[in-house]
Amino acid sequence: MCHVSVGHVARAFESAGIPTVSVFVRAFKHVAEVMRLPRTLITQHPMGRPLGASGDRDRQRRVISSALELLENAPSGATVVELDEPWRAGNVAR
Amino acid sequence: MNDENATPAAETLEEFKNSFSYGSRSDLTFKFLKSLTDDDAGEFFRQLLWQVGHSLDDGDISPIHQLVFEWQRRGYEGSGRNHAYDDAPFTPLAKPVAESRVGVLTSSGHFAEGDDPKPFGVENMTQAEAEERIGEFLRDTPEFSAIPTDLEPTDLRVRHGGYDVRSVSHDREVAFPLSILQSLEADGVIGELSSPMYSFTGATSQGRLRKQAIPGWVEQLQSDAIDVLLLVPV
Repeated sequence: MCHVSVGHVARAFESAGIPTVSVFVRAFKHVAEVMRLPRTLITQHPMGRPLGASGDRDRQRRVISSALELLENAPSGATVVELDEPWRAGNVAR
Repeated sequence: MNDENATPAAETLEEFKNSFSYGSRSDLTFKFLKSLTDDDAGEFFRQLLWQVGHSLDDGDISPIHQLVFEWQRRGYEGSGRNHAYDDAPFTPLAKPVAESRVGVLTSSGHFAEGDDPKPFGVENMTQAEAEERIGEFLRDTPEFSAIPTDLEPTDLRVRHGGYDVRSVSHDREVAFPLSILQSLEADGVIGELSSPMYSFTGATSQGRLRKQAIPGWVEQLQSDAIDVLLLVPV
């Protein structure tokens, strides 16, 4: 439900005149599509780890940079862009 | 009939699958099992065990991760489809991102030490209790937590009954990209990171979220004078 919740937030801010970009994990891509969210970047990451694995600063930064590019470049609403880098594990001690 | 000597009923596959979703085997990474058909659940475990066997020989566990990712996707395929809309709101950017003040809102359930949103009046609710009370969260109005960007990293807390918080507990940047945005600000990629950042528990009543929470959040972020908003659901 988190993705639906954020979808409602995105639609409300966009309607209030504030441009938004959302970062969704792949499992909820269809939610971004049916809710027709303004701009959504999709990552190939598991639920609970949207920006990249713990400690994987390179991946996290690339995801945020890509989201900001989408914010600037999306031509219209309901734009969904998918990053295709597969999940890679982080570096956490158990 | 002598009930005392009756053999306990065998657990059905349905009960087994459901037990991962807030049941006796609750595991928020695998709660999607509840949504799989019995056949699909069987196929998931077959493939999982096969890949585990394979990894004993080659040591590569990335196919296991890929398998979990793929089946998680299948498990959530039907979720949220009742929230369909026809219109697609869109506001063009007024200026480049490199000149914009960027606000951040996540549904990760972060909050600052000393500023507990106190769900149902409970301060310092544990993650375990948040998971046990997920049904109540889903009927309630979400609280909005303001988190100053200069907060001591050790003063950031997270609690959310809807997802596996282990990863964000190790590294906030997994869902709360404070350091990343500070570094992008230093590099001139964004104009400015707006402080505070905001977070809420996304497992919430959609009706209450829309009617009672979001209007105030829009007002708050407008008064923060943000130009654009980055949203991270978890």
